[in-house]
Amino acid sequence: MWRFLGTRLAMGALTIWITTILVTLLIHAVPGDPVQIMYAQSQGTTPEQIEEVRRSLGLDRPIPVQYAMFIERLLHGDLGNTIRGGQPVLDVIMQRLPNTLILACAAMFIAILIGVPIGFLAAYREGSVVDISLMVLAIAGISMPHFWLGLMLLFFFALELGWLPVSGSGPLNLILPALTLGLSNAAIFARLTRSSMIDVMSQDYVQTAFAKGLPKALVLRRHVLRAGLLPVVTMMGLQFAFMMGGTIVVENIFSWNGVGRMAVEAIFQRDYPIIQGFILTFSVVVVTVAIVIDALYAVLDPRIRRA
Amino acid sequence: MQTVTEPQTQRAPPGFWRRLVRSPSGLVGLSIVLLLVFCAAFADVLAPYSPTKMGAGGRFLPPGGKYLLGTDEFGRDMFSRILYGSRITLLIGAVAVGISLTVGMLVGMIAAFRRGWIEAILMRGTDVLFSFTETLIALSFVAVLGPSLQNAVIAVGVAGVPFYARTCYSAALVETSKPYFEASIAAGAGPARLVLTHLLPNVLPTMIVVATLGVSTAILAAAGLSFLGLGAQPPTSEWGYMLAGSRDYINRAPWLMTIPGLAIAVTVLGFNLLGDGLRTSLDPVERK
Repeated sequence: MWRFLGTRLAMGALTIWITTILVTLLIHAVPGDPVQIMYAQSQGTTPEQIEEVRRSLGLDRPIPVQYAMFIERLLHGDLGNTIRGGQPVLDVIMQRLPNTLILACAAMFIAILIGVPIGFLAAYREGSVVDISLMVLAIAGISMPHFWLGLMLLFFFALELGWLPVSGSGPLNLILPALTLGLSNAAIFARLTRSSMIDVMSQDYVQTAFAKGLPKALVLRRHVLRAGLLPVVTMMGLQFAFMMGGTIVVENIFSWNGVGRMAVEAIFQRDYPIIQGFILTFSVVVVTVAIVIDALYAVLDPRIRRA
Repeated sequence: MQTVTEPQTQRAPPGFWRRLVRSPSGLVGLSIVLLLVFCAAFADVLAPYSPTKMGAGGRFLPPGGKYLLGTDEFGRDMFSRILYGSRITLLIGAVAVGISLTVGMLVGMIAAFRRGWIEAILMRGTDVLFSFTETLIALSFVAVLGPSLQNAVIAVGVAGVPFYARTCYSAALVETSKPYFEASIAAGAGPARLVLTHLLPNVLPTMIVVATLGVSTAILAAAGLSFLGLGAQPPTSEWGYMLAGSRDYINRAPWLMTIPGLAIAVTVLGFNLLGDGLRTSLDPVERK
């Protein structure tokens, strides 16, 4: 188990290390002069000021030196300052990151709560009308653009019925964005759970358990559910990454004050320090969650736990 | 388990089309996709009005009557815009998947065929990129290149590469470990023959399924970028962009929101169903 986790940790560290390199290079891949572009929108910037910014960002140095400077600042918890407003990027991100994580976790909770039972039911009644209609529903759910689902929920529940607020960041405001993201991912969980359960149900040991006359509920709970949920757990890391990606759009629909909305604004404003910070934060979150879920998996699966 | 050990030919397996149209998902998916291709090909003949001509019959006309799907905030005919949008959407899907498929297959096949350190570098690199997630790769690309439809399509295409590379790699790896492949090497087949007559045709069925399902993902991702304003720019009748524009008139003209959304959903559903159908009719295991 420790070896398994060690490999995952090393892989995660490698990913984050490569991210730091890519993030440093990112600004150089911008066609044209990034400093000119960044300040194109603010009036009255003198050439001297532009040179000053270039120096402060270290863009007048060779790239390896820039990378070393970036890492040194990063180790001191400094991601630079935003172009608009000059606030520390880390503060701007840390203010909004909890909102994004709350949204992603709430959506994950909804997706599992709806998707796993549906998948289980469909697998249990494999080939029946119930199974077929649930799977038709699931493929429709997967095909539904989540930005459209979000707009429709907004239209019906906030504007037509007036049950929920249109935008803002209170607990009530969480419901619609979490539902938008959760419902579209519930379909993925349902399909995944179904195929995993069907796999397990056809295993010899499950057939044996049924054959020796164990109560159905007991076989399902002890043998099928336990083994069948493992692949679902493995997929949770990837699903969480999807959720994080999904928050970018959903936050914009519901004006949820998270890092996704911040990133899109930063792209429009060409605020590269924020974009760099966002990419780095995003990959750290995704990598960390993936490692935590792998650890969970290692604990749950006796084949890995005892290895 | 796969029991077929001899390589399949490049032709579709016998009864492929019959099996495809007999599976409900294959039939529905194929019909939707063919309908879309028809709309896209003949958009200029089918569309009653120009997709960009403003104010002809009045703004915010509800669906029905002279304007089948109503008009938008500039008085443009929604039906014509949706028709022309199908052209853009299919093109987005084709180009983005083309990029992912070409680069992904190249990486995957080289890694599986060459092995050794080339394999290690390519596949670890793919793993790292894969854990970045497609959204982040696409968003980073747009952040660097600037918002435009062309950049969004490139971004989505590049973002898909790790997944295609991984899938192609595992499919090719299965092939290289089969007895016939080793026999072929022993018989003195050169790399070109091994790759072109053994690897490629056997990897292709898997990749066709992946690419068909991938068109859905690519269309969704590109429409998402356009929705955020990072893709298609005015006055393009791209569906995601149209959907974004509808937000300001959500109370006054809800059809501006429902129609483009439905168009995206049906398109994506079509490719998803077709992909599922292809999987069952191409897979020798499920074929039995």
